[in-house]
Amino acid sequence: MKRTSIALALALSGLIAGCATPERSRALNNPSVSASTMARQVCSNCHGIDGNSVSPNFPRLAAQQPAYVVEQLTGFRTHHRSDPAGFEYMWGLSRHLTDEQIKGLAEYFSAQAPAPNPSHDAALAQRGREVFEHGVPGKSIPPCASCHGERGQGNAAFPRLAGQHADYVEKQLLVFQRTDQRPEGAVMKTVAHLLTRDNMRAVAEYVQGMPGR
Amino acid sequence: MAVIAHPRMPRTFVLAAGTLLLLVLLFAVKDARAIPAFNRQTGQNCVACHAGGQFPDLTPYGRLFKLTGYTIGERALPLAAMAVMSYNRTRNTASPDPAFDRAATFPKDGNAIFQTASVFLGGRITDNLGAFVQYTYNNYDAQSPSDSRWVGHSSSDNLDVRYADRFIAPGRDLIVGATMNNNPSVQDPWNSAPAWGFNVVPGSSGPAATPLLAGGLAQNVAGFGGYAYWNRTVYAELSAYRTANGLFSFMSQGFNVGRGDMQIVKGSNPYWRLALTHEWGPHSAMVGTFGLAAKVYPDPTDPSGPTNRFRDTGLDGQYQFLLDPHAVTVTASYIHEKIDYADSLANQPAPLDPDGTLGLPLTNASDTLRMFRAKASYVYRAKYGGSLSFFDVRGSTNSALQTSAPDPENPGALVDGSESVTGNLTGNPATRGWTAEAFWTPVQYLRLGVEYTMFNRFNGAANNYDGFGRNAKDNNTLFVYLWGAF
Repeated sequence: MKRTSIALALALSGLIAGCATPERSRALNNPSVSASTMARQVCSNCHGIDGNSVSPNFPRLAAQQPAYVVEQLTGFRTHHRSDPAGFEYMWGLSRHLTDEQIKGLAEYFSAQAPAPNPSHDAALAQRGREVFEHGVPGKSIPPCASCHGERGQGNAAFPRLAGQHADYVEKQLLVFQRTDQRPEGAVMKTVAHLLTRDNMRAVAEYVQGMPGR
Repeated sequence: MAVIAHPRMPRTFVLAAGTLLLLVLLFAVKDARAIPAFNRQTGQNCVACHAGGQFPDLTPYGRLFKLTGYTIGERALPLAAMAVMSYNRTRNTASPDPAFDRAATFPKDGNAIFQTASVFLGGRITDNLGAFVQYTYNNYDAQSPSDSRWVGHSSSDNLDVRYADRFIAPGRDLIVGATMNNNPSVQDPWNSAPAWGFNVVPGSSGPAATPLLAGGLAQNVAGFGGYAYWNRTVYAELSAYRTANGLFSFMSQGFNVGRGDMQIVKGSNPYWRLALTHEWGPHSAMVGTFGLAAKVYPDPTDPSGPTNRFRDTGLDGQYQFLLDPHAVTVTASYIHEKIDYADSLANQPAPLDPDGTLGLPLTNASDTLRMFRAKASYVYRAKYGGSLSFFDVRGSTNSALQTSAPDPENPGALVDGSESVTGNLTGNPATRGWTAEAFWTPVQYLRLGVEYTMFNRFNGAANNYDGFGRNAKDNNTLFVYLWGAF
């Protein structure tokens, strides 16, 4: 009886080990796992299968500029981007991604349709729109639209902002203003330098509600 | 309440061990997370899977990590370790009973002790197979029958090995899996589940009498089951539990009558679970139901003949708000238990009144036990936190529980009363109280916590529950712990 059970257990283990399913793998160090498998099996847990994350803790990636996604994932992998949200979640996940996989992930998410993400405070969003479209002239802060596009759609390494969670945008503006944890966004340090907390909140609220297509 | 005994460990030894643990954790371990084996596998920080980075509450991602079989990431050194040191003090450790042995009843009181140490074996084995295996040395496992000193013991603790697959495409997401585990509900990803929500720090206080499903079969059984989670909305599971003996004895904590919690179940005993979940913005919520039907032999040393039949049905819910730097988790759980006793226990003379002279009723043929527990925790910046929990156990009165009774021939006096402090005058199990906890996590693999548990009711009464004039609040306990993992 005991011998039969052990034989059965061994046979079952062999069967399970043999039944590898790379098309549904959650391995992050296997170059043969495709970017779309990774996006669905792993990234979707936080960012959503279509890149429209539910929780504002995690940025929306739907329709994001592919060049920006490549730059960020590479930055996580090399530890150049070191803000807490980045290293706590992304350093580990990205450590063994291949360039090919990073490119594939960027293509996967940039091809997703952005879902609406309505802002909740119209008055705040209106103040944010002023900053987005005209900057803060008295402080020489340029309009966001000049690099991120009139519709907030982004441009190459300048990320898409339309539909991004306000909480995430505000926290990243603080990272740019107060730290050097995102050297790839050094240009934002200059821009964010003189932004008040209210400016940040307002512009973040505005971009969240932008439809941007 | 810490109404159990322990070996008086030299204080200097404990202090030295504690200091060593601190030094090792602070300086020797550069890249440690809890459970650090999973950290090495995903490379992520504790906060990815644990709300506010604190055990045991899982984040939505942590729940998916578990349900997909601990397989996200890459195979890494699958070992981790954990140790807990603690100190507790009970409000009143005295008794008017001349035969009362304070040292034996409150052995840990006022002493800093090394409570438990665990080794974890966890993580990804194949694309679909993963494990969470805890092996624990409990310094206070059981009392020696000869001199009632505590004896340490190493054995299997919580174990969950699972096989999972996920079929996910836009608009549909199905996770299916199989689990092998040794504690009904340890496989559950929500923290309202009996195995994960309450009294998770070894040695902490809580109600004495709890339903079988709330840990009564932990590490006594081997369970096998299947589950499915559809569109991150509906979760269903069905498992069966048998005694962890023979081939499955590696999942058991071992047989020791001195520990007093060994259970031998008859055949396969079903456990089920159904839950509905929803996530919106930084919020997530779950409402669910679960249950266990189990046949347990009245005498674990003689597993034969009729059994006690337990029917446990539970309702639970959880709400979570996670938005850096705040993490809030609120859980509530209600379990209703019906016990039908084997003939050898039903309608028998009360143990205190074998010849019927005290006029106590016969023991019950069946009992009910109802337990409600709720807990709210808050963590700020993954460093500072606290929790408040409430527990309320109620049940039917049964003369089988009575340890003392009014003496019919001597008004005002009690018969027997061999058990002050732990005794029960009413025969009712009702226990109710609160636990408040505050903790500090200076680095993510070290936590210093303090808990205070207040009892409003104990063993059926607020006042004089044992017949010796002891009140429920005399059992109020202060508990301080230092937890480390690497």
